[in-house]
Amino acid sequence: MTAYLARRVLQAVAVVLLVTLIVFGLIRLAPGGAAVGVLGSGSAHQQFLVQYLTWLGRVLGGNLGRSLRLNESVGALLAASLPRTLVLAGLSTLIALLIAVPVGLLQAVRRNSVVDHVLRGLTYLLYGAPPFVLGLLLILYLAVDAHIFGAEGPQATGIGGFITDARDLTLPVATLTLVTIAIFARYMRSSALDSLGQEYVQAARARGGGEGRVVVSHVLRNSLVPIVTLLGLSLPQIVGGALVVEILFNIQGMGWQIWQAAVNHDFPVTLGFTLVIGVAAALGSLLADIGYAVLDPRVRTSRA
Amino acid sequence: MRSGGHRRGATIGACCAAVGLVLLLAACGPAAGSASSGAPAASAGGTSVTFAMQPGGQASYPFAFFTDSTIGEDSVYNVNDFQYLMYRPLYWFGTGVTPYLNKQLSLAEPPEYRGKAVIIRMKRNYTWSNGEPVDAQDLVFWINMMIAEGTNWGFYNKSGLPADIASVHMNNNYEVTLDLTSANFSQTWFTNNELSEITPMPMAWDRTASGQSDCDVSVTHCIAVYNYLSTQANKGVSAIASSPVWSVVDGPWKLVSLNSQGKLVVTFNKKYGGPVAPHHITSFTELPFTSEQAEYNVLQDPTAGQTIDVGYLPTVDAPTPPAGSLVGANPTTLPDYRLSAQYLWQLSYMPYNFKNNTGQAAIFHQLYFRQAFQMLVDQEGVIDGPLHGYGKPTVGPVTLYPKTTYLSAQVANESDPWALNIQEAKSKLSSHGWKLEGPSSNQVFTCVRSGTGPSDCGAGIPSGQQLTLKMIYASGIDWMQSAARELASNASLAGIRLNLTQETFIDVVDTAFGCTSTAPASACNWQLALWGSWTYSPDYLPTGDTLFEGGAANNAGGYNDPRDNQLILATLQARTPRQFDSAMRAWDSYATAQLPVVYEPDEATLVETIKGLDTGPLNSADTITPEEWHYLK
Repeated sequence: MTAYLARRVLQAVAVVLLVTLIVFGLIRLAPGGAAVGVLGSGSAHQQFLVQYLTWLGRVLGGNLGRSLRLNESVGALLAASLPRTLVLAGLSTLIALLIAVPVGLLQAVRRNSVVDHVLRGLTYLLYGAPPFVLGLLLILYLAVDAHIFGAEGPQATGIGGFITDARDLTLPVATLTLVTIAIFARYMRSSALDSLGQEYVQAARARGGGEGRVVVSHVLRNSLVPIVTLLGLSLPQIVGGALVVEILFNIQGMGWQIWQAAVNHDFPVTLGFTLVIGVAAALGSLLADIGYAVLDPRVRTSRA
Repeated sequence: MRSGGHRRGATIGACCAAVGLVLLLAACGPAAGSASSGAPAASAGGTSVTFAMQPGGQASYPFAFFTDSTIGEDSVYNVNDFQYLMYRPLYWFGTGVTPYLNKQLSLAEPPEYRGKAVIIRMKRNYTWSNGEPVDAQDLVFWINMMIAEGTNWGFYNKSGLPADIASVHMNNNYEVTLDLTSANFSQTWFTNNELSEITPMPMAWDRTASGQSDCDVSVTHCIAVYNYLSTQANKGVSAIASSPVWSVVDGPWKLVSLNSQGKLVVTFNKKYGGPVAPHHITSFTELPFTSEQAEYNVLQDPTAGQTIDVGYLPTVDAPTPPAGSLVGANPTTLPDYRLSAQYLWQLSYMPYNFKNNTGQAAIFHQLYFRQAFQMLVDQEGVIDGPLHGYGKPTVGPVTLYPKTTYLSAQVANESDPWALNIQEAKSKLSSHGWKLEGPSSNQVFTCVRSGTGPSDCGAGIPSGQQLTLKMIYASGIDWMQSAARELASNASLAGIRLNLTQETFIDVVDTAFGCTSTAPASACNWQLALWGSWTYSPDYLPTGDTLFEGGAANNAGGYNDPRDNQLILATLQARTPRQFDSAMRAWDSYATAQLPVVYEPDEATLVETIKGLDTGPLNSADTITPEEWHYLK
């Protein structure tokens, strides 16, 4: 297991380095001296490798540069926007998981029943609904008309104020959750159906195990493997922000910041934020592999 | 330039699921500030106003002195909505809805001109918040820094400040004389386009890290002072409110807080010496927004955590006003607000690239072509359609509204001489050597009579040249996308193939202004570039020396016409205001007829103001004076 983990960590580090190389290369290719904008005028005549290593050295030293238009360091902008996005996307993923796993399992156990058909229709509906439509509907009915929730996300500067403002946090989290539930529930249903057909499940039933115990002890654990994959792949999205929801609910999160930076040619911000999202993608993949190994011993023995 | 139809079932299904989920979420924590009643909007009222900024912008830079490296900070968010609240410019522009000099709000009396001398007398009623007077020394401090920075100053002009200053004299504590290198200049131009760029600075800023300096006396010490102030300004947004430097103000407002999200709170400066309204507000908050929709959502929700007293309405959400009216009804979703339309002092246009190196420049040089192409721009259609009636056509360099004395009588009294007329456009092309060729469904004009005669295509246009053009335009602006598509459609009907490409606003502007003498050939291959408008601020006169004079730095397309240059020079050399107005009208009339650019419709800005709050007229110079705002009793 240790060797497996070590190898995966090394692979993740290599992926991150590759991401930095590609992103910096793309920024350097951008017209208008973007790389010089990031590194300063003294770098104008340096070779690509020298520029890249200079930038990487600064990043490893904790210096991600300075925004060209917001009078802030990239680190300060990250510190302000990343926690908001982590709360927003992390909370919605967690709630979606808590709802989608039992829903998907129920659909599998009650396959082709009325319950399954209704839930399947609902998840199809949510899966196909664009977040801006869902968000606008929620705002229109639950904020503007009913005044139950706020029409925008929390505006507190500190993360404490942001996370405790349940009235304003509810609708953006709900919008993201509804979309995510649909994805997770469909994967869970499919995975649980596969597990229900396995011999070890029939063996457990033959041994006299109650249906509930069989489902929880044998079906659930094995069905969670694809969900772990999904969660791992969701990490860059959780870190990278949900652009549409952030724009709609007036939340200056990661997605909105990186979009603004891209539109306004704020290259240091684009580069710094992309790097963080790249690291999150590598980390998510690593965590998914670790999750596999924990859930399925065959993974760690076959790859170690 | 300061720069659904959804199936009913789907809707109901989504809502049911949403209600269940949000109730679950609500149970997870305390409902801070929750208000479930449908109570009517309650503005903060009395002494405070919350102002929602235009989406996407936020204040971040306090230092009013811009150099080449900081000129990017010169935005409405940083200057008009932030710096001007705290630091007042020497001369304030914006009187009523017009962009004229506002004598009441200026720090100095109107300048007196005597030959080469310009005498500026500071008013005696202004003081800095640290108790020191706003006087001649503060003005000289700025002028010296401007001289020290020279070509590095953000608004450097080779025929204007500071190049035209021979010497500066402080006559007494409140009077300064600028001796200029020549007496041959327009007084109106100098006041409106040169002195308008000056913001006196307090002696408290005349320092370096090692202590007090004397930039107000010695120009040689100014670079070090600038470097110190620039360093202070660049310490980050969160450091501005606590800075002892930026706390010294002469404007009506003092900064209380500015956070990294761009939320700005200022409080009334009791030492402000300028005019204020009786019972004026004493606290002013600016809120940033990520999008027009996000701002509209909060406007519609009067129980929101942060209520908006003054905010912007997306044009697409405004009901079309009745014919002949500037403003129509307010959306029914905003019963507690009053709708106003603001027309900015700007020019909406699209340059032709007269320096194009892919063969189209010769076409653009033909007046008959520019006339024909302008007749394909359906300005009224765009205004009535995607702009919902909130816009004005542009027919020349001087905008039709607000009306000024610079507008030629011919333009003011006549309708658009180049209004949509596809048949006339085709006729003009046909009579100048062009013939429709190709399959009947997709015919394109092709030059069949090259030459320079009156019925030929014109100089430099070879026989066989097709009227196929490329146009780039800024993405993310709905009405502009509609306008570009309609223009391409009209062009197609007229036998011109117009290929459209969307790019970001900044990319379009960079492209349009990128074809300089030192740029590679690839920078000059663009043909038509549409990004929006040029705002006449802080140079408030629409004189052509900025955009239309041959060789001018911001003449994006490189238009160069001897007669045009002559008329522009006449505006710059007209001594008296009357002579200036006459020269401006002559140039406006000529530029309207010559079409140096494609004139485009200009979008109005829609402002929602909470009922009971009097903010006065919306200024076309886009400046705000919250110290004059008050709640009606």
